[in-house]
Amino acid sequence: MRRFLAMLLAALMVISLAACNPVNPTDKPTDKATDKATDAPTEAQTEDDAEGSYINGMYYFKETREITVEVFDRNVDNGTPANDNKFTDWIKAGVLRDHNIKVEFVAVPRWTETDEINNLLAAGDAPDICYTYSYPTILQYASQDGVIDLAELVEDKEMFPNLWSWLKESNIYWDKSVTDGSLYALEGRRANSNRIVTFIRQDWLDALKLDVPTTKAEFEACLVAFRDNAATLLGENADKMVPYSVSYDVGWRAGTLIESFIDPDITDKEFYINGFDDRKYTENGTKEAIRLLNKWYNMGLLWDDFALYGPGDTTEDDMMKAGYVGALTHNWDYVFRNGEDSINYQLTINVGENAKFVPCDPFEDANGTHQKFVDSGAGDRKAFLPYTNEEPIASLLYLDWISTASNILYLQTGEEGVNHIKGDDGSYKIISALGTEWAQNSGQNIDLTMTCNGLNLGDANITALSTAYSYPNNDPALVAAADAIAKTDTIPAKNVKVATIESENGMGEVLKTARDEGFDKSVVCAVADFDKTWDQYMASYLAQGGQDIIDERTVAWEAVYSGDSLQ
Amino acid sequence: MGKKKMMATGIVATKRKGSFGAYIRRYWQLYLLLLLPVVYFVVFKYVPMEYIQIAFKKYKLGITVWEMPLAKNDGFEWFIKAFKNPKFWLSVRNTVVLNLLDLTFGFPAPIIFAIILNELRFSRLKKVTQTIAYMPHFLSWVIIYSVSLALFADNDGMINQVLGTKIPFFSDPTHWIVSYIAIGVWQNFGWGSIIYLAAIAGINPELYEAAMVDGAGRLQRIWHVTLPGIRSTIVVLLIMNLGNILGSGFDRPFAFQNNLVLDVAEVLSTYVYKAGIKSLQLELTTAVGLFQSVICLFFLLGSNWLSRKLGERGIF
Repeated sequence: MRRFLAMLLAALMVISLAACNPVNPTDKPTDKATDKATDAPTEAQTEDDAEGSYINGMYYFKETREITVEVFDRNVDNGTPANDNKFTDWIKAGVLRDHNIKVEFVAVPRWTETDEINNLLAAGDAPDICYTYSYPTILQYASQDGVIDLAELVEDKEMFPNLWSWLKESNIYWDKSVTDGSLYALEGRRANSNRIVTFIRQDWLDALKLDVPTTKAEFEACLVAFRDNAATLLGENADKMVPYSVSYDVGWRAGTLIESFIDPDITDKEFYINGFDDRKYTENGTKEAIRLLNKWYNMGLLWDDFALYGPGDTTEDDMMKAGYVGALTHNWDYVFRNGEDSINYQLTINVGENAKFVPCDPFEDANGTHQKFVDSGAGDRKAFLPYTNEEPIASLLYLDWISTASNILYLQTGEEGVNHIKGDDGSYKIISALGTEWAQNSGQNIDLTMTCNGLNLGDANITALSTAYSYPNNDPALVAAADAIAKTDTIPAKNVKVATIESENGMGEVLKTARDEGFDKSVVCAVADFDKTWDQYMASYLAQGGQDIIDERTVAWEAVYSGDSLQ
Repeated sequence: MGKKKMMATGIVATKRKGSFGAYIRRYWQLYLLLLLPVVYFVVFKYVPMEYIQIAFKKYKLGITVWEMPLAKNDGFEWFIKAFKNPKFWLSVRNTVVLNLLDLTFGFPAPIIFAIILNELRFSRLKKVTQTIAYMPHFLSWVIIYSVSLALFADNDGMINQVLGTKIPFFSDPTHWIVSYIAIGVWQNFGWGSIIYLAAIAGINPELYEAAMVDGAGRLQRIWHVTLPGIRSTIVVLLIMNLGNILGSGFDRPFAFQNNLVLDVAEVLSTYVYKAGIKSLQLELTTAVGLFQSVICLFFLLGSNWLSRKLGERGIF
């Protein structure tokens, strides 16, 4: 298989070179890459070879290599060009200095990244190092011969020491196939596995003399009180009141509510075979969660127009900032994001000093705890090398460099006095440099630290302290409280190692559409029609390919594991 | 084909005898003018047809379309996959229904508008009206949708706020269809009327004068002079519209659809976008596109044949 792939890649190289580039006889990167891969285990680890040598433990190419690297473009107000700024310059200089590799960054729009990479791959113009969030997508590329198998290349621990020490075996082998040993992507490390938290307006609770809710019943009572006292709370804008705001993406925006209805004793097997949909549409219990939302919708507790506004629309955010929304469930740090434009900061400007969303944990499960299914350290961003990559070794060296602890630290915290102030306790207080040339285009530069998503400063205590300080214009105590709730009663994802599920190929978007349709229709239907509506759209989801995936996952599980549990 | 075309389009060909070279020499400026569109069609419409075969292949990155292996089931894997999918048939149904409704309400609107404009005597008012009616055509559907939401949203929309009602313009399937069609007609009638105004301008004014002498009233003049005068234009446009019965633009349905009305709003172009392009299943996209084109071709030929049967000229 590997030999075949190597030959195929070599053939591809020749074809593409012959087709569009003047052939340079001294430069045969693909041959070199495959040679290196096959020879790696036998060669003395620190020995220099014809291509380069180790200097201070870092592999240094004799001839300068050139690679291109993807970086998300979030089109940030007052930001800098995503592929050309102080931080990309710093990376370029460092990689050239340490490995003699010249790096160019390619900006890819953040919100349409998959479409964009699809097009770039099909056109043969993809960056040498790409990243995305979905492994099924990468497998789809691989089935079209679009991705380089990294299984052997990455084994050279002497050459890629930082990659191994940062990602560890758990992440590097996470996606390794159990059937043919192929490995098409390296899982970046999720430094912070927080997912979803619920927020509620503290000033409204105070005005109505209510406590922060800790159960669904209390939460519902708060929402009803908000609705009934709209005139007191909002005055002439009473008709704009939305007690609990949920968007078209119900599965995410009621995520912890859905999770609270899932049986705490659910088996690994059942969780896995229903696990294709990341919003848990087919999991046992989800239906009851949506039944509750349906009841609330019909009680007038949700936003009537929620389904009319699609992804990227800011109408709902604007309602929150204007102070019309009583509670919401979203990313654990949602109301703190974006400094001066953050929801909580805008509330203080638009409504008053006391107006703020505070985190709460109101959805109890069958055991009375507040279980949250969170991701593990993997399962987040993945880096892969497309078929057009002529420098796989240099590309992996780049990933090694960007995984080095000191480099992550610098990129995340930036320049002292410009991007952060160091506290006496060793913590970093992030200050916004937007509008200057030192602007971080993504929070903590996570788009540049490709193998690290979330704040990681090397030391766990300092990271925790700094997390609370990493949201400019926001109260660190509230951030710390949200962080603590997000880490309460968590159940980390497990890595199920079974054969590739063929029926998942290319189904992501179709089933996502079907699922969102099912969620939204079931929320807005009449209470009496709920069962009928839910079952109808669930049947449609299963008929469109959902059932095939569940069946194939069941067979794949049973082929590897004897019981219902991973252990 | 060539001969038929000559017969249909002009009498010059039958009267003059001479070689192709002679025509080139005589009318070279006209042929030169024709060159650019011909090049356009060859480069952008005929050369890409090579990629139609993706519908029958297993798509692979990095090799030419000729080298890709044949798909399963003798190459028909993707057609079978599409035809087996309930969502595909739903999209076909919605495409046809929405297009028929568009045709029923959207087709006569520009004709009526053109006739009304033509009857206006005060030419400045006529020009101003015309310009205002054109304008929506230049707005993108995304903009139109956001403006429509501000006006028609169930809860926050201006109309519902003013009336104190909660008419679900965009969240109930039946209401959605009405809104969708009505906004479509509004966007297009002004622009669509241009071609009819041009056709009306070509009618010999003596016919109107003769009708007036004979005592025909305004409505009679419209009925007996204007409408017959633009009949061939109407037929040509109708044939072209019928030829597009299974085709559809992308931006309009995509901008207007939401999860609550997807049952009636998912059309082939948006289905193909989600199932094919976003998921990199280019084979499925191509297969559905090919299916669409073949059906459209039959409609086009069929309506053309019918119009010729009924004594009209048709378009070829």
